Amino acid sequence: MGALHLSHDVIDAQLVDRQQEKIGRIDELLLELEDGQPPRVATIVIGGVARARRVGRWMLALHRAVHALFGHREEQESRVPFDAVRRIADTIELDVEGDALASMRLERWLATHIVLRIPGGSGERK
Amino acid sequence: MKKWAEVALGVVTSIGGFLEVGSIATSAQGGAEFGYQLAWVLVLGTMSLAILMEMTGRLAAVSQRTYADLLRERFGYRFFLLPLVAVFVVSLLVVISEIGGVSIALQIATGIDFRWWAIPTAIVGWFLLWRGNFTIVEQGTAMLGLVAISFAVGALKLHPVWPTLGRAMLPSLPSHDRARYWYLAVSILGASISPYLYLFYSAGAIEDEWTIEHLGVNRVTAGMGNVFGGGLAIATLVTAALVLAPREIKVDRYEQIALVLATPLGRAGLVFFIMTLFITCFGATLEIVLAMAYLLAQGLGWNWSENLKPDKDARFATSYSVLILLAALPIAIGMDPLTLTNISMVATAASLPVTVIPLFVLMNDGDLLNTHVNGWPSNLALVVIALLSIVLLVAALPLQLLGGG
Repeated sequence: MGALHLSHDVIDAQLVDRQQEKIGRIDELLLELEDGQPPRVATIVIGGVARARRVGRWMLALHRAVHALFGHREEQESRVPFDAVRRIADTIELDVEGDALASMRLERWLATHIVLRIPGGSGERK
Repeated sequence: MKKWAEVALGVVTSIGGFLEVGSIATSAQGGAEFGYQLAWVLVLGTMSLAILMEMTGRLAAVSQRTYADLLRERFGYRFFLLPLVAVFVVSLLVVISEIGGVSIALQIATGIDFRWWAIPTAIVGWFLLWRGNFTIVEQGTAMLGLVAISFAVGALKLHPVWPTLGRAMLPSLPSHDRARYWYLAVSILGASISPYLYLFYSAGAIEDEWTIEHLGVNRVTAGMGNVFGGGLAIATLVTAALVLAPREIKVDRYEQIALVLATPLGRAGLVFFIMTLFITCFGATLEIVLAMAYLLAQGLGWNWSENLKPDKDARFATSYSVLILLAALPIAIGMDPLTLTNISMVATAASLPVTVIPLFVLMNDGDLLNTHVNGWPSNLALVVIALLSIVLLVAALPLQLLGGG
């Protein structure tokens, strides 16, 4: 495959983990700047804060306010080194365990505290 | 053979999916106040919806991606917020109206005030979403929705004047109440072309594991399904024109619409009306909350599928659960379902540009569609629909103020 367009093919792309589970999208992409080295794409950021930052300061403030309302102190944001990318196609596969990501905290919390307590929440395919 | 079963099923799905609270209410109002004259708006709306569904279905079948997924990836998060917020606001209004429709049907059937039915409706709906899979939601409501054919039977029994109806298929200017005429035209278009319909359809293509092999099924489903569905909406307009207009009854309560079937079909007509209102609104409720959850999950990259157990896609399952219960509240506290329906149809019409215009870009993207990109006729049709959507956006608010009362 030839060149990839960062803004067209990479940013906002669907991410999947080792198990091919959907784990969010590339919400931000960070370049690393080191003295004497050319900049390189270094970090994938996943999470609401990163998305809010892209929209503007007011959105970031709104985002923080909503999280404060729910008493969250830590940022639910994941930073994954770009080296973890295994495959770039329709989705981008990362060599990570989705469950271990901070950005998946809400998914895990809802699954264990809400969904599994309601009958019919778990099991095989419906 | 299996393919034809799928085609038949698809057609049935779109018939059942087409008629719901919005099209029943707006078509009945149109017929009551302007006779057959607004029939052309239903033709225009139905054709537009068929084209949009064919395209989003083709996009999903070929690229294996949903429309919401591509809206986010190809246009970026900042742009994606626009359709996300617009579709959420109008879909929430529409789903409240649908729960209102179900509640009214139950009120007519039992005599118990509609407010008491909103929460139970939401709970039963939630249970079906939680325990059921995509096939149950899609095909169950579609099959039961066939009861809507009673509107066609009612229209035929009233012996419509075919040449007059034929002429009404072409646009004409009103002789009286111009603002009201255009207001109803916009409402009818909003009821016909709902973003949730094509967002749901595009996600459904992935849920049903469509591939390039299904392009024929897609074309027939979008085309024939909408011809039948739109036909039923026209039948509603015709019955209202023949039953309500001569008696000068303007529809300001749902109970009055029951007359349109009770007149030609008697007591059975009333039963059919209640069943149609109940089933189609209930089906639409499930489809709309799913469409909203799909949009959110696909746009933000969460796991999603109505075929997965809720613990495998907790955020998706929580989203539709919260939405359906939230939508029951306004009806439970006594908001008038019909007023809400009218407002939500006009709001829907105004929301169309943000989901119609981006489709033009995606349908011409060779990376996604290879040889299945739009040809010039499809592009021309899409440009016309996009222009129509911009006119609707501009005209919606003034017409709501001038003709809404």
